[in-house]
Amino acid sequence: MTDKSTRRDFLKKSTAISAGAFLLPQIIPSTALGMGGKLPPSDRIIMGAIGVGSQGTGNMGTFLEHIKEVQFVAVCDVDSNHSKNAKGLVDAANKNSDCRTYSDYREFLEKEKLDAVCIALPDHWHGLIYSAAANKKLDIYGEKPLARTIYDGRAIVSAVKRNNIVWQTGSWQRSTPNFHRAVELVLNGRIGKVTRIEVGLPDGNKGVGTPPIKEVPANLDWEMWLGPAPKVPFRGVVHWQWRWILDYSGGQLTDWAGHHIDIAQWGIGMERSGPVEFSGEGVYPREGLFNVPVEYNINCKYANGIEMRVANSSQLPTKNGGATWYGEKGWINVDRGRLIASDPKILEEVIGENEIHPYKSINHVGNFLECVKSRGETVAPVEIAHRSISVGLLGEIAMTTGQKFQWDPVKEEIIGNPVASRLLVRPYREPWELPKI
Amino acid sequence: MKKYSFLAIACVIMLALFSACKSGADHRALIITGQNNHNWKVTTPIFKVLLEQTGIFSVDVAVSPDKGGDMNKFTPKFSNYEVIVLNYSGDSWSEKTKSEFIEFVKNGGGVVVVHAADNSFPDWPAYSEMIGLGWGRTEKDGPFVYFKGDKMVIDTTAGPSGGHGERQEFTVRTRNTQHPITKGLPPRWMHGKDELYSKLRGPAKNMEILATAFAPPGKGGTGRDEPILIVTNYGKGRIFHTVLGHGDVDGGPAIQCAGFIVTLQRGTEWAATGQVTQKVPYDFPTAAGTSLRVNYQEMTLEDDLIKIGGYDITKSTKYFVDLQSRIRAEGTTPEKRQQFEHFMIELLENKAATDEGKKLILRELSWMGSDLSIPVITKLLQNPALKDDAKFALARLQPTK
Repeated sequence: MTDKSTRRDFLKKSTAISAGAFLLPQIIPSTALGMGGKLPPSDRIIMGAIGVGSQGTGNMGTFLEHIKEVQFVAVCDVDSNHSKNAKGLVDAANKNSDCRTYSDYREFLEKEKLDAVCIALPDHWHGLIYSAAANKKLDIYGEKPLARTIYDGRAIVSAVKRNNIVWQTGSWQRSTPNFHRAVELVLNGRIGKVTRIEVGLPDGNKGVGTPPIKEVPANLDWEMWLGPAPKVPFRGVVHWQWRWILDYSGGQLTDWAGHHIDIAQWGIGMERSGPVEFSGEGVYPREGLFNVPVEYNINCKYANGIEMRVANSSQLPTKNGGATWYGEKGWINVDRGRLIASDPKILEEVIGENEIHPYKSINHVGNFLECVKSRGETVAPVEIAHRSISVGLLGEIAMTTGQKFQWDPVKEEIIGNPVASRLLVRPYREPWELPKI
Repeated sequence: MKKYSFLAIACVIMLALFSACKSGADHRALIITGQNNHNWKVTTPIFKVLLEQTGIFSVDVAVSPDKGGDMNKFTPKFSNYEVIVLNYSGDSWSEKTKSEFIEFVKNGGGVVVVHAADNSFPDWPAYSEMIGLGWGRTEKDGPFVYFKGDKMVIDTTAGPSGGHGERQEFTVRTRNTQHPITKGLPPRWMHGKDELYSKLRGPAKNMEILATAFAPPGKGGTGRDEPILIVTNYGKGRIFHTVLGHGDVDGGPAIQCAGFIVTLQRGTEWAATGQVTQKVPYDFPTAAGTSLRVNYQEMTLEDDLIKIGGYDITKSTKYFVDLQSRIRAEGTTPEKRQQFEHFMIELLENKAATDEGKKLILRELSWMGSDLSIPVITKLLQNPALKDDAKFALARLQPTK
């Protein structure tokens, strides 16, 4: 690792070394030189992508819109169809055919000399691969939810902090005006003191039954796709559909925790802490491979008395999706494409100079790239991502056990309930080992 | 005066003790049948068993004369019973029988109206009032009633009542989860394939709709949320009206549905007593899917474990989901969880049980098990098919190792 020289190493060293004495980065594709309007190559952020299915390709596409600032050089996926497709996009953007492809992230991280990486994988892989990329000192644009378990999440946070890298979570709602405005109004007391919150998430999924065992297609490394999750035969249930199987995800609840719970906690200044009490009940499918809850209802309480209910929105009295804060003087609901309040005048309120001004970002990927250069904190840093998904994961534990329990958000421990505490971690299948905290 | 009060209190206490000590089938129910455009000969013995299996009813059956027969001979002694269950749709009763029925209900008797029984007696206003809504009624009897969103709609449009689209499974929405009959039921649950009665109309007096279901236009439905479970009061009497329960030749999914069975059992108890003492069982259907009782019996924990022991990946996981529900509801202390654990360990040690079944049990034990499980799980490390799952469970049960 020490023999690698990247753009950021250069930035760090350039304060000590005179301008003419530095070594150029080792990889300078010809297309990176002298392209009209682009930054000189040493200032362009060299990137790769791990996980280039639909979400990962979408994320990479957004990065490629910032072609003046970034250059992709490699992609990695356990499905060679994905990596082939992603290489095509990168090569088209770079106007060459140099993008390298990998199927094993360890080889990718070992061989490539990058500044940053964007990662979009099933949740059961987050703990290992986010930590591994952080340990390679790469800045990371990673997908929500941060992790499949509280343990994995804390391990990722500690790897990011230990390595002092820049992290942005794909909780992009933070960079859109209606969510920002809602948070600003609530934080500045425009609905009075908040007493309770409702978070409405999408309803459950439909089942697939139990499809027959199939031959693994030649383009897919199924063993590597499973990774630390239990070994199961291939049944054609893979991309996208992993979301409905508990070994890989907690379903809609954990998928959307990184969006609407994230926003809800931002609005009450609890984004780096969390509730102190959880209870919940879920409805689980009776048949088929999919086993995440199709209905879920979680009640939690913050130390300051604010209560939050998180449920699939058809269970809520209002049926509203998104986050709804109820205050002593009114309410505000925010969802994608919507910002409404008990009184429309609330939405006209002007926020004074000396009031609270939440972090303003208008471009989620752009905000990450700025921070990679400035070394500042992004709008969706890793600690906040961890605290957002923690609410979903602790709610999942309450549903699994049927028990109400107390949570210490400082020590991150379930208090006095060793049985529920066992669910804070999902053991990995050998030879994979849990990332170190 | 003082002495009198003391005696009165003592009497009340004695009575309370007496009723608390009472147990067994001490509520009397009478099923009335004999004519029905449905297969009453099949459904009646099933309904009788369903009511008897609650342990709180003794059940008699009164069979009317055949269609066109002499209804003057049909004179059930309503006053011998606390609740009359109508599995009847046919000829009018005699005036004497009708007036005795009205007296019975007015004086606090209970009535349960099942499925086609709400087609009965369109020319008998008191009966229309009891059922609230029914088939074969017109604007003279009262409005159409259904739900739109969260609101009940009273629709006075003229026209005949009753109808249904094609038979289908449908989601029942519990509109009131505080009523004794529906308390503790899930807000949404899938009913077994049945007729979805629609366009019901009637006096709708002293009536509450406890549950509805959307009748999809794609399957010949009205596009409305139609009433499914209805309660009314008539005089001092309580009436429970379920539109569910279209019985086939061999029973069939509409009456095998645990949702139908349980609401019938609870509704009958409420009609008889005004209260419901029965617990909601673990196999009550959810929004996730139907729950059919093939033999009309609730599964016991032992039955569930036998099924899990025979589980193969292509078979139903519902017995395991039921076990999980039981553990959530009852495994609230270490001692109570160990009661489950003993059974689960037995399953792990049972050579006849499948590996797939054992995997489900290992995953559950990983969080709710105790030291009791560790030796048997450790042995499973030797089984190549279960090694990973045993390791998973041990990693949670013995995190320090």
